[in-house]
Amino acid sequence: MNTKLQALVALQDLDLMIREAKDPEQATREEELGFPLSGVDKLERTRDRLAKQIDEQLLQRYERMSRRFTRVVVPVEGRVCLGCFMGLPTATRRNIDPGTVEHCENCGRILYRL
Amino acid sequence: MPTVSAAPRRSETHLELHLRPSLFIPELRTRKKSSVLEEMVAHLAEHRIARQAQAVLEVLRQREALGSTGLGKGIAVPHARSTMVTERAVLLARSTKGVEFDSIDGNPVHLCFLIVAPPVDRDPIYLQMLAEIVKAVRLAPVRKKILEAADFASIRSLIGAQLA
Repeated sequence: MNTKLQALVALQDLDLMIREAKDPEQATREEELGFPLSGVDKLERTRDRLAKQIDEQLLQRYERMSRRFTRVVVPVEGRVCLGCFMGLPTATRRNIDPGTVEHCENCGRILYRL
Repeated sequence: MPTVSAAPRRSETHLELHLRPSLFIPELRTRKKSSVLEEMVAHLAEHRIARQAQAVLEVLRQREALGSTGLGKGIAVPHARSTMVTERAVLLARSTKGVEFDSIDGNPVHLCFLIVAPPVDRDPIYLQMLAEIVKAVRLAPVRKKILEAADFASIRSLIGAQLA
């Protein structure tokens, strides 16, 4: 996995954690069980720092798509995007460049290979 | 001839269904929170539950930054969802000497239940397992028995009995 994708994966995981910590139902449940969630601000600052390390165009695409999908960065298994479960054209598989970031032609999600 | 009615068999809880002998570390080698998380994630990577150990470790560290998962009374339940996790899993690790885990009561952790899951939209089982762990280890004698159990099967039975 290239460094661009690694940064996006880290951002996606962090966004999910922040979203869940801010979800009143989930946060209440966790706190009732004894897990304090007092560090949301800290996570948001980490998120901002991480976002600054990501290519601006790629980040914009991620931000735009994250308004539609919970998971923007998804795996490809065989030739199937595990976001929309549609097959990818064979050409997509052949033209993998380790330095580029691939997208699903059907749903637009950002792909990584298993 | 009288019929003997069998007692209805209890269905297993999510936690019991996720406890696997392969995901058990009888005695942790390390004693600091950071290195214990590394040790546990390395175990998950060996069993192909963590695709990229570093990414899973990072998300667990961020979760600890959100608030320590050291519940006190020698128990920690680090948990996080990561894109780099292949399936929901629970890893149980023990430490006789104890791990410094920034627990609420400041005491070392002896039983560590690590929960990881992929980031699916809604996963009620993930939260249910957190609740089941808290319930299973609420009694001091049970915690002691889990810590002293000779094998994983005994631990699983002890936990099952608490959740019955």
